[in-house]
Amino acid sequence: MRVLSRHLTGLVGLGLLVLSVGGCAGLRADGGSPTAGVPRPTRVVLPNGVVLVVQEHRASDVVALQLWMRVGGRDEAPDELGLSHYLEHMLFKGTAARPPGSIDRYIEGVGGTSNAFTSYDATHYDVVVPTAHVRGGVELLADIAVNASFPPEEIDGERQVVFEEMRLLEDDSDKFLQRRLYETTYGDHPYGRPILGTQPLIRGLTRDRLNAYYKKHYVPANMTLVVVGAVTPRQVRPIVEATFGRLARTAPTRPAVPDSTSLTRAPRVDLTRTEKQAYLGLAWKTAPVSGADVFAVDLLTYILGESSSAPGRLNRIVRDREKLVYTIEAGYGAWQKGGIVSVLSRLEAANLDRAERAIVDVVRRIQAEGVTDAERERAIVTAESGYVFDIETAEGLAKAYGQAETTWTLDDELAYLARLRTVTSAEIQAAARKYFGADNYARVRFIPGAAR
Amino acid sequence: MIRAAVLALLLLAALPGGVARAESVTRERLPNGFSVIVRENPLAPVVAVTLLVDMGSRLERPATAGISNFVHDLMIQATRKRGGTELAETMANLGGKISAAGDVDYSGIRATALARFWREALDLVAEIALEPKLTADDAAGSRDFLLSRVQRRQDSPSSRAFDEFYAALYGAHPYALPSLGTRESLKRIDHAAAVAHYRAFYRPERMILAVSGQVTAADVVLAARRLFGGMPAGGAVSDAAIPPPVAAGRRVVVEQPAQQAQILAGGIAPALNDADHAAVKVLSTVLGGGMAGRLFSELRDKRGLAYTATSYYDPVREPGAFVLYLGTAPRNAARAEEALLAEIARIKTQPVGAEELGRAKGYLLGRYAMDRRTNERQSWYLAFYELARAGADYPERYRRAVEAVTAADVQRVAQRYLARPTILVLRPK
Repeated sequence: MRVLSRHLTGLVGLGLLVLSVGGCAGLRADGGSPTAGVPRPTRVVLPNGVVLVVQEHRASDVVALQLWMRVGGRDEAPDELGLSHYLEHMLFKGTAARPPGSIDRYIEGVGGTSNAFTSYDATHYDVVVPTAHVRGGVELLADIAVNASFPPEEIDGERQVVFEEMRLLEDDSDKFLQRRLYETTYGDHPYGRPILGTQPLIRGLTRDRLNAYYKKHYVPANMTLVVVGAVTPRQVRPIVEATFGRLARTAPTRPAVPDSTSLTRAPRVDLTRTEKQAYLGLAWKTAPVSGADVFAVDLLTYILGESSSAPGRLNRIVRDREKLVYTIEAGYGAWQKGGIVSVLSRLEAANLDRAERAIVDVVRRIQAEGVTDAERERAIVTAESGYVFDIETAEGLAKAYGQAETTWTLDDELAYLARLRTVTSAEIQAAARKYFGADNYARVRFIPGAAR
Repeated sequence: MIRAAVLALLLLAALPGGVARAESVTRERLPNGFSVIVRENPLAPVVAVTLLVDMGSRLERPATAGISNFVHDLMIQATRKRGGTELAETMANLGGKISAAGDVDYSGIRATALARFWREALDLVAEIALEPKLTADDAAGSRDFLLSRVQRRQDSPSSRAFDEFYAALYGAHPYALPSLGTRESLKRIDHAAAVAHYRAFYRPERMILAVSGQVTAADVVLAARRLFGGMPAGGAVSDAAIPPPVAAGRRVVVEQPAQQAQILAGGIAPALNDADHAAVKVLSTVLGGGMAGRLFSELRDKRGLAYTATSYYDPVREPGAFVLYLGTAPRNAARAEEALLAEIARIKTQPVGAEELGRAKGYLLGRYAMDRRTNERQSWYLAFYELARAGADYPERYRRAVEAVTAADVQRVAQRYLARPTILVLRPK
């Protein structure tokens, strides 16, 4: 799942000099699953349409506040590409009451953190503050949600930042491979577009354009506020009613986006890059998050192997037995209007063809023979574990709830693990047969060479 | 506003880890010298295990660079009881992950699991630590894999820039060496050398086990005695002292195909236990901590001269590296470097204002508290502080030291540790 961040954190440092790969586990990035012992969150819809989700979480004396907006890359018209992401950069810049720089100084001065992310389906603004600052944090989010001031000089300055982000993406082989794979897989569908936008569009972006997009999408009906931490719903609700609750009601205006159906052709892209190693990405279109098959596809992805250290079939066969790749991992992006399962590997260029055949063979084998009970059990335990480790922190749990409320439903999220447990091995095999053809996948290869 | 904020932080500091937490830490040293630390944390049904060994690139030489990491990659290939696939499957059945790696100051094995499987997870960590198979075939496989990772680091502009920077900054000191090793060293390290290195360092006096999670300390200590108590004592640890590094204050330019230019500037800074450590942490935060830090707010927000604008100063046992880092467009590189040097000059000559100092301390201590919330991070911190002989009360002492830092301290350490910054520029070609 590719989510673009406002800024990059933890890239490098003495000792642990490892570049992280843009998160692609199973459905983890998209939704979680509850486990025994986690109480249900309180969900309230305010009269103006703002959804408030609150859960008490006493792991430490902080509160995670996340504003989730039902707007993202997929809502952009072809001449609006990059606006959702640009807005995400601009909102922390200031409001009528908060001059540029003061928001970051406030959050960081109280020992808090802030971040923001844009995906195809949603945009979210995350703050973690000590419990004593809940009110200040909620007031801040309500303020930026409707009162962003877009100082012209800040808009201009941010242009260079976005251009830098584009360059950085291109320099990161794994992330760039994922980007090109989405583009190749989805083609003209909104999920194939660049969330960062394009150089010409960002260069020509005006304040009026940005403001119009903001006014259109940043309306109460598109907002979800998630509050998780050392607070009770009773403490939080009056604060939210006095802030978010006062915003004027407006009709939601989200444009319809077609579901993305399976590939009827097999697009192939080869790029010459300056790296000395080759990269191979294959992608199949699969079930969207709301699809009935989402559970089976999720387990299937775990069985293929969601990371380099996971005991999946891809690692066992393509890496360890055939020795065709250095690393290989499968990821499932379960979006609202379409799903994508991608397999990414890093390898020597001489092995590109054989590795591709081996990967397709692994899939074919599952289609023909199914998966073992042991594999199914292991996939379920892995999903459970991913969930409980995610919700160790308040912001991890808030993210799971915000994502679910925005692109799925909170009830589905809460029932997720129980639903996973009901999936049979036969259903996993059926999902493999339904979505994974031998020739309906998109392919992107980075081939070593001097030119770029 | 800021003043109230700092007060709130003190409150947070007074309640380490939080409100409803019944948390306790148990420490025991087994008769053979092996250390066990257990933190009971009933809040989530998970457990994290960190086994650290006092070995790492700190004790390596150019010819052996990466041997500690090599040994760990080899150890996790297979044990005398299980092959690699079975190891990975067993761990996944516990809802967990396991990894082994060599780092700068330490090496070791880390695992996480669902708490109900803590015993099995601990058994598996012990099996990899004490009964690795270490075959010549697996060593060849590890070498190929690690060489591919070295290549990947070379291909990545930011990783390459950091490696070159540390090499330029540290000169003959072992912190100049990448803990992953180099192409030359990895080709030279053979199976016999790896086995010998394992035997020399996997001794109880050099090992620390830290466990954090939904466990009972007495049970974990009993299990640790059973698993590690039988290791024969090998004598006290006495590594040769490492001569302190001398920063050359050089400016180095490397060229590499890339879209982005990388600019690093910095100096050799105090070790974790040094009296100046807290003041340099505050200095690092004023300059490059968060989005209100000077590099981000001045160079990125106000002038658009960089995209990434941050600083690094990680706690290490020998003198650490204080690094200011910019990633920027090639056409901005010259102006960005100039602006970065101007920020270094400014902080050496002008005292930091009270509000800015308060913001930096709030941010620094807030991040520190937030980073210590998960069991995985807690088990690592507990083991690392023990290994670095920082003392059980280190987090509290560190917090107090940060709070006591004055504007004059910040200026003094800036003058001292950034006297002649080392500079590395990676220029796209």
